[in-house]
Amino acid sequence: MSETGRRLTFEVFRYNPQDPDSKPHMQTFEIEEVPYMSLFMALNEIRETLDPSLQFDFACRSAICGSCGMMVNGQPALGCRTQTSDLPDVVRLHPLPVFKLVGDLSVDTGIWFREMAEKSEAWIHAEKAFDPQAQEDRMDDDLAQKIYDSDRCIECGCCVASCGVANVNAEFAGPAGLNRIARFAMDPRDTRDDDEWFEVISNENGVFGCIGMMACHDVCPKELPLLEVYAYLRRKALSTAL
Amino acid sequence: MNLLKPANTATRQLVYELLSGGTGLVLALFMWGHMVFVGSILTGSRGFDWLAEMLEVYFIAQPTVIVIFVLFLVHAALAARKIPAQLVERRKMIELGKGLKGAHEESILWIWQVRTGMIVLVLGSFHLVLMAIDVLTPLWGERIGIEAVTSLERVQAGLWLPYAILLICVEFHASIGLYRLAVKWGAFAKLGRSTLHTIERVILWLFLGLGFVILLVLAGVIPPPLAFLLGGNA
Repeated sequence: MSETGRRLTFEVFRYNPQDPDSKPHMQTFEIEEVPYMSLFMALNEIRETLDPSLQFDFACRSAICGSCGMMVNGQPALGCRTQTSDLPDVVRLHPLPVFKLVGDLSVDTGIWFREMAEKSEAWIHAEKAFDPQAQEDRMDDDLAQKIYDSDRCIECGCCVASCGVANVNAEFAGPAGLNRIARFAMDPRDTRDDDEWFEVISNENGVFGCIGMMACHDVCPKELPLLEVYAYLRRKALSTAL
Repeated sequence: MNLLKPANTATRQLVYELLSGGTGLVLALFMWGHMVFVGSILTGSRGFDWLAEMLEVYFIAQPTVIVIFVLFLVHAALAARKIPAQLVERRKMIELGKGLKGAHEESILWIWQVRTGMIVLVLGSFHLVLMAIDVLTPLWGERIGIEAVTSLERVQAGLWLPYAILLICVEFHASIGLYRLAVKWGAFAKLGRSTLHTIERVILWLFLGLGFVILLVLAGVIPPPLAFLLGGNA
């Protein structure tokens, strides 16, 4: 049961890069908390009753679309999955760092993810022509589960925002990028050989750019086993070199 | 393939990573052994001097101090490559770490690992040079190497303070470093991360506790608590 009767104070980052007169600043809003209130509900309440110009993104409201990532009291989180009952009376909201700011709390994660996918060529490289009539190649259950685990990423950008390296090095593949690389490196249908993968993985912008802060793993709303993924990539790099 | 970086840097990066992690591992393990050796002071000066003499007479101490110094410098140079060069970048990381503190502590611990690493580089270099002088100069003359009376004098003359700082920094840096290394490579993964973190904490407090008792004995604040093992003659 959500706590009720609280008056919540939201300190929200405001800035519209499209408007030359806009200056980055924090704006304070106060609203009444209601039972089972999510951040999504709270921000809609603010937009409907206090300031219609407030920009933020939401689509699915069920942690699938990955569009409502934001910094909640310094921690990346999905607005739809965050209950106000889990937050203190004062909540500070910022847009996710690293990504291009659209305005206020809205960022364009698409540019970053597209660039990452293109750089690492995050798609199956197959040499065989696809035959829709042929039976699919069999895959080991454990491997299929691991690939599925990596594929559960909704590209919300929370891991990237929490990563110290991604925040200071735009070239770093980032947690979500390493997860994508691992997903295709694991896939037996991908015909890229170990030497090709070695060049992508064993790199200061690949897994060896990671400094092991581990925040990505801890903030991932989908609870992806990111640390296991990096350990897999490190060991794959080492075994290829040996 | 459109690579994240041009070819041939990959092998170099792997070597750097292995060297920085490997030297860190060896240095951390050495510190545990070092603590046991220095811990001989708990039995009194006689035990300490006997052990120091053995290590020097059988030429264990001399190559060790050189090898450890080399590993120490290699580790510092390679681990430092991960520290952002710009102040603005470091500030960004610190802010990020502080913000994440409520949800998780490893980010802020990484920042403290860097800070303690810097302190260890300075104070550890001083200590290593001092030890190198102690164990290497007797090779060229009738000098006495490491001995309890000198160590007690030094600590009591004021070196207790830099040594106390060095102790805290080394133990913190080494224990969190070992934990991070294990997680990075997936070692002891079956134990789970929280268990590894707990083990790390236990090791940290254990060696910090032992280190402070040793330092108190060297500073003359308490008598050697294990002196009875050598017949009570400290």
